Amino acid sequence: MILNYIKIAFRTLRKNKGYSFLNIFGLAIGITCASLIFLWVEDELSFDSNFPKQDQVYFVSTHQEYEGEWRTFGSTPGPLAEAMKAEIPGVVRASKTRGLDLLFSVGDNVVNRFGRYVDSDFLDIFSLTFIEGNKAEAFKNPESIVITQATAEQLYGEHEKVVGKILKVNSTDNYLISGVIENLPNNVSYPFAWLAPFERYGRDKEFTREYGSFFADTFAELSPEADFEAVDAQVRNLLQEQTGDADSKAFLHSIKDWHLRADFENGEQVGGRIDSVKLFTVIALIILLIACINFMNLSTARSEKRANEVGVRKAMGSGRVRLMIQFISEALILAFIATLVSVILLLVLLPQFNLLIEKDLVLGLSKPSHILFLLGIAIICGVFAGLYPAFYLSSFKPVEVLKGLKVTQGSATFIRKGLVIGQFTISIVFIVSTILVYQQIQHVKNRDLGYSKDQLISMKVTGSMIEKFSVIKQDLKNTGAISNVGLSNSNILNGGNNGSNLTWTGGVDTEDILISFRLVNSEFFETTGMELKEGHGFSENRAKDSASVLITESFAKLMGKGSAIGKKVTLDDTYTVVGVVKDFLYGDMYGTSDPVLFLNYHDEASFMYLKTNSEIPTNDMLAMVEAVMKTHNPAFPFEYGFLDETFNAKFKSEQLVEKLSQLFALLAILISCLGLFGLAAYTAEQRSKEIGVRKVLGASVSGIVKLLSKDFLKLVGISIVIAIPIAWYTMENWLQNYAYRIEINGWIFVIAGVVAIIIAMVTVSFQAIRAAIANPIKSLRTE
Amino acid sequence: MKNTLLSINEATRTVNSGSNKVTLLDTINFNVEEGEFISLMGPSGSGKSTLLNCIGMLDNFTDGGYTFLGEPVHSMKEKNRSKLYKEYIGFVFQAYHLIDELTVYENIETPLLYKNIKSSERKAMVADMLDRFNIVGKKDLFPIQLSGGQQQLVGIARALIGQPKLILADEPTGNLNSKQSEEIMELFAQLNKEGVIIIQATHSESNAAYGSRIINLLDGKIV
Repeated sequence: MILNYIKIAFRTLRKNKGYSFLNIFGLAIGITCASLIFLWVEDELSFDSNFPKQDQVYFVSTHQEYEGEWRTFGSTPGPLAEAMKAEIPGVVRASKTRGLDLLFSVGDNVVNRFGRYVDSDFLDIFSLTFIEGNKAEAFKNPESIVITQATAEQLYGEHEKVVGKILKVNSTDNYLISGVIENLPNNVSYPFAWLAPFERYGRDKEFTREYGSFFADTFAELSPEADFEAVDAQVRNLLQEQTGDADSKAFLHSIKDWHLRADFENGEQVGGRIDSVKLFTVIALIILLIACINFMNLSTARSEKRANEVGVRKAMGSGRVRLMIQFISEALILAFIATLVSVILLLVLLPQFNLLIEKDLVLGLSKPSHILFLLGIAIICGVFAGLYPAFYLSSFKPVEVLKGLKVTQGSATFIRKGLVIGQFTISIVFIVSTILVYQQIQHVKNRDLGYSKDQLISMKVTGSMIEKFSVIKQDLKNTGAISNVGLSNSNILNGGNNGSNLTWTGGVDTEDILISFRLVNSEFFETTGMELKEGHGFSENRAKDSASVLITESFAKLMGKGSAIGKKVTLDDTYTVVGVVKDFLYGDMYGTSDPVLFLNYHDEASFMYLKTNSEIPTNDMLAMVEAVMKTHNPAFPFEYGFLDETFNAKFKSEQLVEKLSQLFALLAILISCLGLFGLAAYTAEQRSKEIGVRKVLGASVSGIVKLLSKDFLKLVGISIVIAIPIAWYTMENWLQNYAYRIEINGWIFVIAGVVAIIIAMVTVSFQAIRAAIANPIKSLRTE
Repeated sequence: MKNTLLSINEATRTVNSGSNKVTLLDTINFNVEEGEFISLMGPSGSGKSTLLNCIGMLDNFTDGGYTFLGEPVHSMKEKNRSKLYKEYIGFVFQAYHLIDELTVYENIETPLLYKNIKSSERKAMVADMLDRFNIVGKKDLFPIQLSGGQQQLVGIARALIGQPKLILADEPTGNLNSKQSEEIMELFAQLNKEGVIIIQATHSESNAAYGSRIINLLDGKIV
């Protein structure tokens, strides 16, 4: 019996090649698209899951209150980890850590790697496996270092025993390699290429032993029996007791939430990546739904052709259930073929998709879960898409269809129209969303930053760049490629380096306001193009500015009415405001940035900025800069970034949404069009006699095209009406995530509507024209 | 006395067309006995096909009694009715109604599938049938590759494969030329001799003459 179904299914497929193609291809696109999304979702969900202690490992963060609002910070004081372990019974292990880039050199082989200075507990918290060396001995010597296998191979090549070797670090220190650990997978929230004893890092840094300085990343492991609520509260009490600061509330952030639920708003966990994961899962399901709708539409549209078969089979003694089984089997076979096609599509498209989303996903066809997933999708799609046609087709009465009576298509036509409206509604929502996401990103990118991000190179300060700064600066300018050189303790684009422990003239509740500190050189403003609104900038001679500060306009506003020049700010010492700089944007590109205080003090600068001369080609310019840096800072590799690129990188997750929504909009439209195309073909076929009669009676081609297209366009029109409120509501919701945002403009809906109508028209008119220009004698003769 | 296969008692069939009630069959009374070959005659619209469909249980009388092999069909559930006609009735259609996607062999085999007959048995039965109708060489062809007469032959083979007691043929030769018609009618006569009861609807006097009894219908009534 089943064999009979399969046979007939394949023959039907072969007989109706066009129809089969539309059906299989539409479904295959849907499955491919859903699979890509689910691969991405799988990757997102698997973050940090390789560490075995999923229920016990936590990261200590703090909520801090400023101006009535709780903000969340990852940094904690150095002594907290040990205190937690000593005083809170539920805490089994704890480690303070400090993440840094270190420069390793082995001969000419020089690499820069990010890693962490940690307490020895860290190794157990994350259950790290040693390939060489052993855990117990690893941190005995404070001058030792544990590296990952990949790092070891990069430094020494493969199959080399490295434990016991001396590794040159930052060209000044020598660390003893005490262990090699297994590589971490890509999907880790806190990655590291090396681990070294914190003792070594903190040796000459008093602040690491004080509660006043929030600088460390603290990890803790709770005992399996520990009461999370209690420990969480105890950590909070502990930190408040030690700092005496009630506006700083520590909390434990579970390893399971590090990647997916890392957004906090006013002290509450509000989601994070999980929102994108959910959004895209829904989108994947919607696309599958559209593809299944196609299937149903095309199948029921073809019902007249199958009606006869249904009648015969019923007369032969087939029950309704058997017919349903037959039609569902056919749908399943189609779905399986579509799945196979989509596997091929996936193989071709996955590398492109990886480029697009900047991940390294693999199809993993050998994984049972992936095979099961594909099978599952095929079965669900087949059954889901085949169920309605099966119900519908099997309901035909043999007497009627065998007599050659027209099948009354009442319910099917109604449902079919509904399904087309559904597809186009979704497509239009996608079009609107795509436009809005694009607009919002452009809107923020074109935002007045308060500085010029173009022609600006940033370099991390390494080696002797500060000591030799004046020479480096002069040599760089002498090349003619660089016009200004600025220094800052902080990346222009990023937040951080802030505090609230200062007072100022006219300041009320100053503790409540978070101020960012920027330690810069005098040329910093010229380099970045920050605009001086009042007063004057810093002097080249730093001694003159030992008691001067520059502030931003928003800071000046805090000082009350009138010019801020001459007003006082008290930090550890008291400074006089000499200039006011236009507000500039950093940190959250969608929000407003905190007020900033500048000091003319560049000894602790971490970033050097070069304003380049636009007339010199980039490659030449880079070569010149490199030459200068090699001369004065030979131990360190020349590493740089362009600020506009770094700026663009800040929009990664939004751009992912942008790219994917474009892709999905396109696919949704494509699948919908395949369906519409098929439907139009069948409508034209069904009405071929009517068209023939009309033509014989003198109807024009254009009149017939209009007649055939009108009904479909009506459906698209209804879709537009339904889609507008849905799209408006969804996107308004999305935009609410951003403080700096666009308003939704009415004309977007007009554009989306027009696009949908044009697409539908092109799709339908092809069939309509073909039907209209056909010779009427042919269509009439067949009766 | 011969056994009665079926008896129809005061049976009526009406349909609603808009607000009008149209009577297709009006108080029909007749019995069919073993060994009969009945020809239903009458002009178009006289109710021949409706009567055949009702006898074949593809359609139901709206009123009156219908007994088949002693079982009251009119008060039966759909499922039992289906079981009954699957077992005892074979259909032959004017337009053949072969399934285009199936070969000759598979078309003939289809009723057996619905009777859940084992594969080996099916093979033997279909082979017999092909042999008997002399169409072994055509078993792998599709209906579209056959002439009308050959298609109807396959249609009859398909109706016979389930070894029915009764064959209902609705204008079986309506689409055929006279020579093909004659062959089909000879075949029916042959089958009737072998014990199959046949009821055919026809316009043709000469075809009707093959029957052992002629029933004339006019406007839904036996005249």
